[in-house]
Amino acid sequence: MQPQTLKFVQSKFLEYYQNSFREDALPVSLEKREFGALLFKEKTMVRHRSFLQFGQLREFLCELVPSDVYYSSAYYDNPAADEMGKKGWAGADLVFDIDADHIQTPCGKEHDTWICGNCDFVGKGVTPKECPSCGSQKIETKTWICEVCLETTKRETEKLLDMLMNDFGFSTDEMRVYFSGHRGYHVHIQAETVRCFDQAARKEIVDYIVGTGLDFDSHGFRSAGGVISGPALESSGWSGRIARGVYDLLNSSPQELENLGLSKKVVKMLDEHKNKVLESWKTTGPWNTVKGVGEASWKKIVQRGVELQSAKIDTVVTTDVHRLIRLANTLHGKTALKKTIVPHGKLEEFDPLKSAVAFERDMAKVFVHESPRFRIGDEFYGPFKERKEELPTAAALFLLCKGVAEVVV
Amino acid sequence: MMVSAIDDSYLKKRYALLEAKRISDFLKEEPPETVIKIAKFFNWKIRRLSIQEGGKFTLHFADFLRNASIFHEKEWKLVNRQIVKGEVTLTQSEAVRLLEEEVKRHIEKRLQTTDFKLPETIAARVDHLKQLLMLRKGELKTEEMPKTIVVDAFPPCVKALYTAITGGHHLSHMGRLTLTTFLINIGMDAEDVINLYRSLSDFNERLTRYQVEHIAGARGSRTKYRPPKCDTLRTHGICINPDETCERIRHPLKYYQRKLRTTQKPSS
Ligand SMILES: [Zn+2]
Ligand SMILES: [Zn+2]
Repeated sequence: MQPQTLKFVQSKFLEYYQNSFREDALPVSLEKREFGALLFKEKTMVRHRSFLQFGQLREFLCELVPSDVYYSSAYYDNPAADEMGKKGWAGADLVFDIDADHIQTPCGKEHDTWICGNCDFVGKGVTPKECPSCGSQKIETKTWICEVCLETTKRETEKLLDMLMNDFGFSTDEMRVYFSGHRGYHVHIQAETVRCFDQAARKEIVDYIVGTGLDFDSHGFRSAGGVISGPALESSGWSGRIARGVYDLLNSSPQELENLGLSKKVVKMLDEHKNKVLESWKTTGPWNTVKGVGEASWKKIVQRGVELQSAKIDTVVTTDVHRLIRLANTLHGKTALKKTIVPHGKLEEFDPLKSAVAFERDMAKVFVHESPRFRIGDEFYGPFKERKEELPTAAALFLLCKGVAEVVV
Repeated sequence: MMVSAIDDSYLKKRYALLEAKRISDFLKEEPPETVIKIAKFFNWKIRRLSIQEGGKFTLHFADFLRNASIFHEKEWKLVNRQIVKGEVTLTQSEAVRLLEEEVKRHIEKRLQTTDFKLPETIAARVDHLKQLLMLRKGELKTEEMPKTIVVDAFPPCVKALYTAITGGHHLSHMGRLTLTTFLINIGMDAEDVINLYRSLSDFNERLTRYQVEHIAGARGSRTKYRPPKCDTLRTHGICINPDETCERIRHPLKYYQRKLRTTQKPSS
């Protein structure tokens, strides 16, 4: 980022914190939280701050104008103490993070680019070991926000919410869902019941969400005398999830089954007897009603069924009881979009690229090095390559924060 | 009172365990109502299903996790339980097993209080018991790790991390932590560990040195960190291709110890 670009971005961030920063999505017990802020300059982190009310927090943000703002999911007796031992841990929210970085997406992340820190050479797709232009190893990856990725993370979030609601019994009031401002969603649970969970308990919840350590015997799978049987579609907990996952898989295209490494013959048999197989999966079996589809094949199918049902959360975030997480209504330093609350039950129709826009007015002139087509609000922009453009502030900031453009003075 | 005066966490744990076992033995034979009553004393959200519903118990998952998350058997993992709207289904003997844990922790907590004065004769006996206990515990110490590094004895997960790093590939934070703590604990020099990371494109000498030395206990807290347990490695996707030895251990260091014993003995 060139100096004039940095100056422009910071002035806009300041404008946001002065005029538009709202307190409607603050965490409960503000005074017990530790705050941290990442500075634009040298990306240093200011930590161990605490605030009694919203006004103080805003003052702090207007003074520092950071690129990213975080707070602790934990509650502390002394949130401003500079050592963990002195903070006095008094519980933590249960937090889930779903990010396109950790998920295989249909787009194969073709939109992700990398840039050489030495000569600014830009490339697409998988990051190389060294720059093909100058040989430097200082390569920075630039990930792009793409609608396919966002849609994928939304599906994962829906699966997570379904488990939290139906299996864990959390009410919609207890769960706050946010668009992260970049490539995914966060779910925060501040309920009293979860605060005292230790790492071991949180780890068990993570294993549940991801389906780690699933034991098929425990879920009613039996194999006796060549007959396989198992849970029914409407069974509770993971039993039903496994059955539903397999049902969906069998109901999808034969290609999906071939991708599992099943032989052409097995896939053909399953396809020919699709209706019969699906019928048997609605109940507890027996399932291997199709000749030529053995236990090994079924195992692969069931494994994939589990994968389809599990939600791809970041396991480290949820198990860490001292984690700093992005504060709602603050700007993301890589996009200038804000972390935005998703209204109760409105995830399906939520449009992150519209709701998270933080700047509504004015235009800005930028020089774009290279950018794929993208959308901010209802407008599409690009693709651009080595071009001067006058864009609405939000779109311009997006490119500047992504590091693919500079301000034109 | 004597137990609490000796003020030894090991002894306190043993005592609490015995007491808890006594109570659970008693509860196993009791009618369900008694189990519910005791459980309610500890504020458990527990209820009994009607005979039509199977006659079992349901327990809120928070109460379940508080007591079951230390068990290693797969049937105690939450992912393998029937759970509906926050309630986990349990048999009576399972409910009693969890209560045993609750009682144990309750007693341990009560034994924490040491602010009372003992008569001199008793105080002398307490001191004597303390000494005996020290001797006994000395025998319980685990064996030290040998100092040569045998890559062939690494568990599959660590071997994969090791191969990745020597091939110049990046590791996740969890991967780095696992590899570093493992190598330090089996006796590798901090300097050698740092050199391993040197091939990475984003190698930062100062930061890597800080992290490795911190883990080795040379800095700050002076506690030497151990690698995460297998269980934790599974959660974070570090565990890959587990073999038969993996099934018999719960910690990557144990794998290494076992493998060393079996691989090193015959040849010299
Ligand atoms: Zn270059
Ligand atoms: Zn994408």
